[in-house]
Amino acid sequence: MIAAVETIQAELAAIVGDSAMSAGPDACRPFAVDGVEPRLVVYPSSAEQVAALLRCASERDLAVVPVRNGTKLGVGNAPRRYDLALSLKSLNRIWHYEPADLTVVVEPGMKLGDFQHFLARDGLWLPLDPRGGARASLGGILAANAAGPLRGRFGGPRDMVLGMKIATGDGKIIKTGGRVVKNVAGYDMAKLLIGSWGTLGVIVEVCFKLFTRPAARRTFVFHLGGLEAARDLRRQILKSPLGPLRMALVDGNAAEIVEGAGTKFETRNSKIETRSSNFELRGSNFEFWLEAGGSQNVLARFARELEELARGASVQMDKRDDATLVWDRIADFVTLVTENSKEAIVLRVPLPLDSSEEFLRMALDETQIRAFVSQPGSGVVTLVLSGEASGGNWPTSAASSVAKLRDLAEKLGGTMAVEHCPAEWKPLIDVWGRPGNDVEIMRQVKAVWDTKGVLSPGRFVGGI
Amino acid sequence: MLWRPEDRLLYEYDGLSSRRVPDAVAFPRSTEDVTEIVKLARREKVPVIARGAGTGLSGGAVVTEGGIVVSFARMKKILEIDIPNQRARVQPGVVNLDLSLAVSDVGFYFVPDPSSQKACTIGGNVAENSGGPHTLAYGVTTNHVLGLEVVLDDGRVIRTGGKVWDRPGYDLTGFIVGSEGTLGLVTEITVRLTPKPEAVKTLLAIYERVLDATRTVAAITAGGITPAALEMMDGITLRAIEAATHAGYPLDSAAVLLIEVEGLREAVEEEVEAVEGICRRHAAREVRRARSEEERELLWRGRKNAFGALGRISPNFYVQDGVIPRTRLPAMLEYIAAVGEKHGLLIGNIFHAGDGNLHPLLMFDARDSKQTAKVLVAASEIMARCADLGGSITGEHGVGIEKNELMPLIFSPDDLAMMRRLKEVFNPAGFFNPGKVLPTGKMCGELRIQVGGGA
Repeated sequence: MIAAVETIQAELAAIVGDSAMSAGPDACRPFAVDGVEPRLVVYPSSAEQVAALLRCASERDLAVVPVRNGTKLGVGNAPRRYDLALSLKSLNRIWHYEPADLTVVVEPGMKLGDFQHFLARDGLWLPLDPRGGARASLGGILAANAAGPLRGRFGGPRDMVLGMKIATGDGKIIKTGGRVVKNVAGYDMAKLLIGSWGTLGVIVEVCFKLFTRPAARRTFVFHLGGLEAARDLRRQILKSPLGPLRMALVDGNAAEIVEGAGTKFETRNSKIETRSSNFELRGSNFEFWLEAGGSQNVLARFARELEELARGASVQMDKRDDATLVWDRIADFVTLVTENSKEAIVLRVPLPLDSSEEFLRMALDETQIRAFVSQPGSGVVTLVLSGEASGGNWPTSAASSVAKLRDLAEKLGGTMAVEHCPAEWKPLIDVWGRPGNDVEIMRQVKAVWDTKGVLSPGRFVGGI
Repeated sequence: MLWRPEDRLLYEYDGLSSRRVPDAVAFPRSTEDVTEIVKLARREKVPVIARGAGTGLSGGAVVTEGGIVVSFARMKKILEIDIPNQRARVQPGVVNLDLSLAVSDVGFYFVPDPSSQKACTIGGNVAENSGGPHTLAYGVTTNHVLGLEVVLDDGRVIRTGGKVWDRPGYDLTGFIVGSEGTLGLVTEITVRLTPKPEAVKTLLAIYERVLDATRTVAAITAGGITPAALEMMDGITLRAIEAATHAGYPLDSAAVLLIEVEGLREAVEEEVEAVEGICRRHAAREVRRARSEEERELLWRGRKNAFGALGRISPNFYVQDGVIPRTRLPAMLEYIAAVGEKHGLLIGNIFHAGDGNLHPLLMFDARDSKQTAKVLVAASEIMARCADLGGSITGEHGVGIEKNELMPLIFSPDDLAMMRRLKEVFNPAGFFNPGKVLPTGKMCGELRIQVGGGA
């Protein structure tokens, strides 16, 4: 039923109050997804309000996109329609914090940075370093199943969630799991929500399993001459009993970006071409970053063994006592690249552990690749493409490059998703890739959670 | 296929109990065989019950309404071992321990280690989302399964997930793991293999008071140490184990903690010192360290054979599986003791203490119907208390037919309705493992409890 904006506004205001709602282009523009703007923005302050808003949306057939900080809003397809931005910024409370049990129940609007800061008082943390970094909200991280280099050691969001409350598309609040670290009662519905990109329901509360912060940390940086050296180093480290906290392999351009030494993408309107005449990625310098954590004795062991590895491979290695900032920038590499270069295309390529260097070797033959960050501990490669070599045909040639790289990833047993590209090119570029033969089940699962199809319609894989 | 009544009788039971003899037992050798069985069952409108080794403790493989039991005993091939990528692909009938043994030489293992691991299958582990003592630090089955091949109710074969972490789409793998055979028949599983730790140290801390042992558990967690395993056994259990296994457990103590720390040599040495200090500060009478692999194995053999050993002191026992926040262990143990006293029942305790996962063992004689009734009441009181403390009614054994009627203790009608609707997506006619997981509305007072095995 299409109702007048005024009628809807009155209904929504009755749920959240006038002051928790805004309309008009200025209020709505920041919530645009690929240029599609909502008609209204609402700021519910409780789980019940979220549920009531969704119930109203389902009755009135309003399309809703849940948002917090918008660090990943550009991922996925543009919504088929978009009436209501549901901002979760007022849902940022902590319930049931039990440091001795290593569990916490928290609302989705809390930002990761604030959350970590809160936990640090008790020497705890949530070992996640996803895209968006400190600004990413917990709800957004879950919706995207977003994980960075720490994943190789600690797993991803799906391995840290003990329970959830979810508001469904038709406005019911559903609980799954609980607040204990081991629980097999009933279907694990949280798994469906994690990585569902706001298409099934709105997570209104989550219980996380917490971890103890490492006593001390040290970062080691290997300067490598090629991908074979990177592969050998990665294999040796994974074979050793060391168990680093995280690892990252970056090319020279990415190294400049993450070390904050200015970026090749710093100019607006993507004048990348003019700065790239001396660009040569193949065979150039790669940096292999590794962070170790633990007691001083453990760190000393790392230093000894890594020095030996470096000597054996005749490569240079530095030590850094505090590299937190660089690790933050590695995690948030996509944002650093895209906020200054709207024309860049960023691809996320999860591969089998032992295939990432092989993929990179073949992918680098695609001349448009400008920078990459690879996570040797989890097999995920993030690639940046730009239009330098393609002249005026960049969107078309980009689309074919993306397709070629996807074929390559799939041949090696991986997949590929487009993490960022200009909105107007999305019709040319398949953002999510081919779904598997389980997509029909996924469609039915979607229909169970969101009976009227009002949640982020069309944003996800297979048009879900 | 098995048709003769005396053959089918064997498939009436699992580790919990029995209900009915299946109408037939099928032993498929391939996914295609499974597909044909499913199509036939659908045409004839008979239930299909998946079965691994039948070691489950919640009746997941028990036949409730007749039908075909699909035994995966002949689908037990390890299809691929991929060490460079730390993955393996297996058929569901592969025995849990066999996979770890197959990759042991190259320094890897499969983490989930239920006590029944010498017999239980990986397919069964997937159905129940099994745990085990060593899942404290590394997670349960769901954290180690990345992909599945599943036969759905119409004979369709879908593949979910795979060797890599992320595939576009919903995490159906994570949803199917732990669904107890109610969504489809899993015919292939892709799992993570984990490198074996460099160093392992095992401690046995001995206490005069149960309370001191439970407080130690909370203090270890609060001290920022995550042991690979942290198990507790009380005096009743200890004495039964010692009589059967001669693991060297002290006969006169009130409780022991079996603590294992693993990882990098340097870290393990420091953590063992720290753990031992915490134990002594909480009035441990003695802390023993296993000095050799033989000593370590002996300590674990006692723990893993605990359920068998209890058969020596009681004709029957009912093993429960509740979970509470770890810090509530002291209060919970007092409550269990009070329940035992109230009903005049002997209750032993054996816990995955580090996880807050309790296995109270309620001892009784099944020939005495009054005692049997008391056991069921006592067990449900313990479950209700777990729920009140913010815990769960099952940590690793599953819901099955044992606890489906208890689900409302922790889930609302809306929660259960959502689970039911999701089940209908996969299993609309309800012919996969009927009567399990979700409440049927009938209380199962006739639960026939057997002497169990256990995790």
